[in-house]
Amino acid sequence: MKTKYLRQLVIAAALTVGGASVAAADCPVKVGVALPTSVDWGKPIAETALWVADMINEAGGVDGCPVETILRDTQVDAKVGVDAAKAMVDLDKVQLMMGAVSSGVTLPILTSVTVPAGVMQISCCSSSTRITGLAEEGSTKGLWFRTFATSNVQSAVLTKLAKDAGYGKVTVFYKNDDWGQDMASLLDNALKASGIEVAASIAITDNQPSYRAEVTEALGGNPDAVILALYPKEGIAVTREWISLGGTTKMVGANSLRSEEFRDAVGMQYLGDFIGADTSSPRTASASAFVEAYKAKFGGEPSGPGLPNSFDAAAISLLAYHAAGNGATGAEIAAKVPMVTDPAGEPVDANVEGFKKAMALLSEGKSVSFQGGTGAVTFDANGDVSAPAVSWVFTETGIDERQYIPLEEVNAFIQSLN
Amino acid sequence: MIGIISYLAFFGTVASILAIAVLGLNLQWGNTGLFNGGVAAFFGAGAYGAMMLGGPADPLQFGAFELPYTIAFAGGIFLAALVAWAVGLLTLRLRHDYLAIATFGVAVALEAVARNAEWLTGGAKGMRGFPRPFEGLFEDQFTYNLAFLAFVVLILIAVYVGLERLVRSPYGRVLRAIREDEIAARSLGKNATRLRLEAFVLGSAIIGAAGVLYVSFYAFISPQDMAPILTFQIWAMLIVGGAGNNRGAVLGAFLIWGAWTSSGFLLAKFAPTAVQIYTGPIQYIMIGSVIVGMLLWRPQGLLPERIERTKTGNEAPGKTASQG
Amino acid sequence: MIQNLMDGILTGSIISLGAIGLTMVMHMLRFANFAYAELLAIGAYAALVFDRLFAALVPVMDQAFGGLSLTWSLTLATLAAMAITGLSAVLIDWAIFKRIRQKADALSMVFASFGVALIIRNVITLIFGLKAELYSNDIAFAMVLSRDPLLLIKPDQVFVLVAALVLMTIFHLVLSRTTFGFALRAVAENPALAQVAGVPLARIIIVVWMIGGAFSAAAGVFYALTNHLSPLIGHNFLLPVFAATIVGGIGSVYGALLGGFIVGIASGLALQVLPSGYSPAMPFLIILAVLLVRPQGLFGEAEQT
Repeated sequence: MKTKYLRQLVIAAALTVGGASVAAADCPVKVGVALPTSVDWGKPIAETALWVADMINEAGGVDGCPVETILRDTQVDAKVGVDAAKAMVDLDKVQLMMGAVSSGVTLPILTSVTVPAGVMQISCCSSSTRITGLAEEGSTKGLWFRTFATSNVQSAVLTKLAKDAGYGKVTVFYKNDDWGQDMASLLDNALKASGIEVAASIAITDNQPSYRAEVTEALGGNPDAVILALYPKEGIAVTREWISLGGTTKMVGANSLRSEEFRDAVGMQYLGDFIGADTSSPRTASASAFVEAYKAKFGGEPSGPGLPNSFDAAAISLLAYHAAGNGATGAEIAAKVPMVTDPAGEPVDANVEGFKKAMALLSEGKSVSFQGGTGAVTFDANGDVSAPAVSWVFTETGIDERQYIPLEEVNAFIQSLN
Repeated sequence: MIGIISYLAFFGTVASILAIAVLGLNLQWGNTGLFNGGVAAFFGAGAYGAMMLGGPADPLQFGAFELPYTIAFAGGIFLAALVAWAVGLLTLRLRHDYLAIATFGVAVALEAVARNAEWLTGGAKGMRGFPRPFEGLFEDQFTYNLAFLAFVVLILIAVYVGLERLVRSPYGRVLRAIREDEIAARSLGKNATRLRLEAFVLGSAIIGAAGVLYVSFYAFISPQDMAPILTFQIWAMLIVGGAGNNRGAVLGAFLIWGAWTSSGFLLAKFAPTAVQIYTGPIQYIMIGSVIVGMLLWRPQGLLPERIERTKTGNEAPGKTASQG
Repeated sequence: MIQNLMDGILTGSIISLGAIGLTMVMHMLRFANFAYAELLAIGAYAALVFDRLFAALVPVMDQAFGGLSLTWSLTLATLAAMAITGLSAVLIDWAIFKRIRQKADALSMVFASFGVALIIRNVITLIFGLKAELYSNDIAFAMVLSRDPLLLIKPDQVFVLVAALVLMTIFHLVLSRTTFGFALRAVAENPALAQVAGVPLARIIIVVWMIGGAFSAAAGVFYALTNHLSPLIGHNFLLPVFAATIVGGIGSVYGALLGGFIVGIASGLALQVLPSGYSPAMPFLIILAVLLVRPQGLFGEAEQT
């Protein structure tokens, strides 16, 4: 192990001395993964990303070269995350960086590491509208992508579901972090614009001894329904408290609650009226491949926040890497992303067979339409994902998707709010 | 080769910024015996203060006056000092535990403000786009990073030299006298409470300066940057390096930050994938063990305090008996 | 308003249990122990393990008492967890704090406790993961005591309050009626003097750690029973427990009891005025207020510096 590493170092050093800016075309292809593995929801996200790399290797690797993922823990600490990213970019010469989760870490990595070095960065889970602003300024140089819908789309879909269900007055519980605060203010606007009264909008700060006071405050508003923009851990605590104090079981939840942990801990008997929102296209037989493959690998449904998004981020970026070829620069990889997510391309599944097929087609210079865990993803000019929406419900055996809302309808609804 | 230099320059910059904060803490704890449990609060106050004064205008929030860098720099330091002055005034009279707990509480409270007062601090999203100083002077990022490293190192040296002088001056001797035996110092007519407050404010201002440099370097600040773990990291650096010794403080900063980053690096390199998922907790356990082990087997740190003993007397044991 | 008051009392009872041991330890060993609150987490998780074990061995024990989510197995598991946590506290003191005490000063101990807290929290994370665990997945419904003003209370919370009060009463009787209690209080109030009077300090320290650990374990279980388990339980309770100790006056057992309730109630009522995002800062504001008005705490003796 050690000698192998040393040899790689020597080779890498030799290559960098030899040709200054030419990216080394050596095997294996190194890919940086900066995710918060020391955090509850971060671990499965990282496991999913590593699993995709294994599948790509099984399918033949990037441009015939096996992928070597370098997983670094960001500890949700900007200092640590940026250092890890910097080390991977400078020392391991990665041209592709996956991560991070929290926008407070993703943003400094983007501005002080990946963009200056011309490395492509793709995140599964950062939703901050600050990054869209950065991309609009042109500061991301087209190197940035994310497979997680922006808070803008998420809040619009939640509002639409609440409106369609006929709720006239709602209370919002939101996670008190960058994502949640973004969601809360966007939800507030969207709900009011569509004629729904917001009884209260209540911040749920992580790791509090008790959420009783917050829940009691919400009960006072006497809403028809609650909207939950929470992660499973505090979502469980708040929802259990809410129900035990006699709150309504009419709930609309963000995709972060799409988790068996949440369902089991709250209990099916209280989740009959729960409607969830997510971004996804209809699950044709081929697009369910992700779910099947995930079950086969991990022995359970992919039911944590960000798992399908992590899968897609890893798969799309690695397929683009393959299309760009071993030795490609970050900008070259980023330029190939549209080839992988071409709606007119040949649909390919999210499993080893699909990857084999996609890689063969991409090598021939043909574009494909990757059918990932969140459906057929496409990116706009800012690297933001645009995907149709779906509503889902909890069932005894898992999570069922109910109603698909086409992209046009989502966009029309967002327009109607302005 | 360029990659390695580029990374080392980056590492050196962050480590130097942290070293400045450790020097500030050393003045408080190493030289004056004040337990600051809220390093992150003063670091954050410096960073946020500079960002509010020097950051780009944003219609949605207060501040962002786009003032010149020197004013932003001074403003950040001033805010950190102001917070320290208020906290010190309330708690420095009391037994040392109170200061530890109260400063820990300040960090929690300031983090809550940074997270919730969106109009003031940008909320959990943080604030971005701090104009990096003298960026216009350099053509490419690489040279700029080297120049920035030189700038930070210069400030580190200035702080180091300044503190060394201070510690060796009569003033520094009084601070140590208060730490060792407050009653004796009082009996010599020294106003211990005021001197302790001064040392506390000065130390916090230095920590605030580190915060300013941090925001200058990353051009971004969010409540995550003032999590309690920062306090722990700075303390670990001081304890390992050697409390009371400024050279030890700097050494500790480079060693601990090096260990912190390289443990992640090594785990990523050599640990099997199945284990990599657990590297986060393992890393914390390792660092925690280093601290505890250090306190068990070499509590004076790698570079112990060098005291010019003018008289023999009770040293360390007397440190707390007088304060209890 | 009344609801917040009542909820505050319930949270307060848990904080009180945590603060009893801390105030004694802080006073006797003269350092702010940042690892103390981790005992709550050790207790809660130990009870989880025993609960699953007992329920698996004797399935009948997994029956909940009417209206409560408490089961026989959890009751026994709690007792076991109290013993285990007490022993862990003694063990940690013996392995780490005692050794540092002999070498360095009290403030090194403060920092050592930072390190110990970090180790404990991450060992728990490594074993159990960071996800929320529950003793029972069933939701125990609240009873409506009054509709206007709305007043709700959960049976579990009543049980927790009663159980906490029973524990406190027993402890009070021990303190006030037995020779051992006198010795304990003597040491807690003035360790040096007590030692001169012939109280075996080393042994008393072990007993105090046992008691503190046991009470913390109970607090951890009670908290997890009405909320959920997470490796961060200890971290979450750190500031509230410190606040209770300072409010009561370091060293005063009864002060800590009362302090816990004050912190709980004040935090509950604060939400009437402050947005909920600021609730983590509440214990700190209480500490500041106490330091301003009565620095020695409600029952503490004035410090002579």
